[in-house]
Amino acid sequence: MSNQTRKLPRRKFLKTAGATFAAATCGFPHVIPSGVLAAPGRKGANDRIYVAHIGVGGRGRGLWRELENLRKTGDAASIALCDVDQRSLARSEQDKIVQGTEIYRDYRAVLDRKDIDAVVIGTPDHWHAVQFVHAAEAGKHIYCEKPACCTIEEGKAMVAAARKAGIASQIGSQGRSQPEAYLMHRYIASGILGKVQHVECFHYPSPVDTSGTRDSDPPPELDWDKWLGPLRWRPYNAQYCPGKFRWFLESGGGQIRDRGAHVMSCAMWWLGADGTGPVEIEATGTPPNQGIWDSAVLMHVQYTFKSPDWIMTWTQKPQDQLPTAEERKPEELNDEITKITRPGYGAIYHGEQGTCMHWGGDGGTWAERKVRQWKPASNTTEVYKSPGHFEDWFAGIRTGKKTIMNVEAGVGVAFLCVLGNLSYMLGRRIQWDPVKKEIIGDEHARRLMGRPQRHPYQL
Amino acid sequence: MTSEELIAQIQSSDPDIRTKAWLSAGDVGSPALRSLAQLAVEGELEVGRAAKRAIWQIVRTSGALKFTDDRRRSVIKELVALLDNGQPVELRREVLWMLSEIGSDPGEIKAIAALLGHPDLREDARCALERIPGGKEKSAVSAGN
Repeated sequence: MSNQTRKLPRRKFLKTAGATFAAATCGFPHVIPSGVLAAPGRKGANDRIYVAHIGVGGRGRGLWRELENLRKTGDAASIALCDVDQRSLARSEQDKIVQGTEIYRDYRAVLDRKDIDAVVIGTPDHWHAVQFVHAAEAGKHIYCEKPACCTIEEGKAMVAAARKAGIASQIGSQGRSQPEAYLMHRYIASGILGKVQHVECFHYPSPVDTSGTRDSDPPPELDWDKWLGPLRWRPYNAQYCPGKFRWFLESGGGQIRDRGAHVMSCAMWWLGADGTGPVEIEATGTPPNQGIWDSAVLMHVQYTFKSPDWIMTWTQKPQDQLPTAEERKPEELNDEITKITRPGYGAIYHGEQGTCMHWGGDGGTWAERKVRQWKPASNTTEVYKSPGHFEDWFAGIRTGKKTIMNVEAGVGVAFLCVLGNLSYMLGRRIQWDPVKKEIIGDEHARRLMGRPQRHPYQL
Repeated sequence: MTSEELIAQIQSSDPDIRTKAWLSAGDVGSPALRSLAQLAVEGELEVGRAAKRAIWQIVRTSGALKFTDDRRRSVIKELVALLDNGQPVELRREVLWMLSEIGSDPGEIKAIAALLGHPDLREDARCALERIPGGKEKSAVSAGN
């Protein structure tokens, strides 16, 4: 029997297992999908896009809020929410967030709705690839929280699924769409630094679990099996969720994957390096000295790129060794840009003729003063200015244009994070083929490019 | 470091000593595996976690060696022994995933495949076989059973 035939098709699963389709909260009618009214396969400029939110706790809830501008203008309507934790769904109801939407416990029931054009995936990282691929197979446009994937094979499957379905995708490294990210991009692309030889990313450490928390029964509101999804089964421990999955190598992968997917995303975009990759990755790090979390506390990774030759480093260092954040004068602040509220991470760009620096790199991105005050010459090549991360995605849905953090780019950045952790875990250097996107030599490391997924939560 | 020294340090009440010990476990290798497995199951919470990390360190250090290297083969042999019915399910589940990374021989494929009918371990066994060259065909018959 082939590997393919043993997998239970998603639709068959729905019939056999029964979709967990909770009661509608407000009787909102199913609507005509916007694509019906526009050119085949494309939304018209004035068509409303009907969105479902998969994962509404933590960051997923933030994404719901960030779509508010597009709901207000009538560009978007959020008509379905899905989560495996009843507490997250209940919190949404208390806030009246779910007015006019239907609620689900199983994302597969959401994907079966023909009136939904697009999904926003805000689930824990180990779910991203499976839900992304299934959503693409259902023909939905996809906004997926970063990092795109947990393994190399997951990332390849996501790219293949998006290409086959022809959907517009956006990975949630929204730093690329920030106003001062545009200023950094413009400054670096102008060539004022000369050839950039080294991008030095810095971040504060990953935390240590000192709680001594033992495994226990999961809370009754949480469907633990579905929360684990493709991960191998293990008993519930309160140090997994909500949000704490970030500190497990299997899921969030620590700071290098949580924030590396932002800071290194900016570097790849500003240097025009999307679609490329390093040829060698070497990581060292300090593990936590106790607790259930296992991601590196301190860490140093070097990525060596060839043709052109440059390096990127990712360093998690003690707080007192981080670069000092620039003080902003009152006249430098406005509604969009306030003080640097996240001084603990960013990157320094070392060029042949100078350096420049930014802090943050996610929803907050702050460029240093000389970058902000720089006036481009009239013949300076202009760079793309994102209208906003969701807005850019919607433009992709409507026009078919490539989005600023499309899945190819998002997976490329996630691969940097994954490979850094892999080198750290194995304690040895990794050779990488950036064209074939696979590890060279090292049979053990090659096996870890993928991770078998638990039935039925499989690609 | 000897196997005895490793086991002693893994049981230290000082988290830094435990951590330094498990980080060094790769060089100690297979002779420490059974004692570490026992600590992983029976040790105090943080000692058990350190012991489990030491086993993983041994597995991942041996993964850099050739399939035929005696040190790698001896690690695999000890891991297969830990799949025995007398061991707790939690440990056997962990061992299956360890073997998924370094297993390569028809012998260990057979030992893993024998668990495809186990009510608590069959899915982990299937996943392990999926990863091992030559094991995928064995796993194909059991998905979701």
